[in-house]
Amino acid sequence: MSQLIDVVKRQGKRPTETFTREKLHASVVAACLSVKTPAGQTEKIAEAVCDAVIDWLQIRPEVTSGDLRRIAARKLHIHHPDAAYIYEQHRIII
Amino acid sequence: MTILSSLAIVTLAALIHASFQLSISVLTLLSGHAIGAKHSTARVVKLTSSFVIGAGIMAVLLLAFIALVVQQTFGGDAPQLVWAVACGLMIGLGVAVWMFYYRREKGTALWIPRSVAHYLSDRTKATKVSAESFALGVMSVIAELLFIIAPLFLSALVIVQLPGTWQLVAIGIYGIVSILPLVSVWALISSGHKLSDIQKWRESNKSFLQFAAGSGLIILGLFTYVTKVLTDTLGGF
Repeated sequence: MSQLIDVVKRQGKRPTETFTREKLHASVVAACLSVKTPAGQTEKIAEAVCDAVIDWLQIRPEVTSGDLRRIAARKLHIHHPDAAYIYEQHRIII
Repeated sequence: MTILSSLAIVTLAALIHASFQLSISVLTLLSGHAIGAKHSTARVVKLTSSFVIGAGIMAVLLLAFIALVVQQTFGGDAPQLVWAVACGLMIGLGVAVWMFYYRREKGTALWIPRSVAHYLSDRTKATKVSAESFALGVMSVIAELLFIIAPLFLSALVIVQLPGTWQLVAIGIYGIVSILPLVSVWALISSGHKLSDIQKWRESNKSFLQFAAGSGLIILGLFTYVTKVLTDTLGGF
């Protein structure tokens, strides 16, 4: 990615972070593994989701962590609905 | 009140305690983080077991503590007013649970302060060793105190009336019954069930769980009021 994208966390209650592909990748991998997806398939899905999300981010200099999670879940749903469900639920389980 | 009916009240109170969902939510989240962090199955089982043990021990300690306070304050038989307060607490909390237990949004988010929910969520993510997991189990029971205080208090009132050995039996029953859902979820996770299936079941049945918990509180509150407060006041029917 050529430009830096700010991620506003928890409606500004926590410091803003710069978007990193690695963090998104790790979160998608964690969601896939938690629903017993094989490691190889997990990596492929995470790469595809990261590419799709970065594509979506191209015209957005600033996004909220909630938006990022929603879009990532939507892209993940195409590849693995169960993992997308857990990914979406993460902040609304407790 | 006979020993059998006392144990029945404690068992029903423990079932109501068991129907509250905060500890189960934290356990689900903890399992998700542990599996997602590529921990071995043995380590996931160890972490989740420590959590369940922590929650169980805290429930027993809380009950024993409240029973001790009741015993020291009122002796073996609390005044009718205290029983009436306990019954009122059960009924009032039951109505509150019917109305407010789950947030009206997707997922299984509960009506606990968001700062507490975020704290538990962050601690769950940071949990790496069994001792932290045990402490998280303890914390999750304390965070749920607002909901479980009524069944704990009523059980304590019933327990102090029992002979010494039966008090231990009643506390044991409460401890075991109150962690039954946690043990069930732990067994499902340990045997390789998908977290998504467990969470989907919880989400689709949350209204029923809320109704059952609220109804249980109201029914037990009314039952105890009639059998203990009214019967003693009127000298039997």
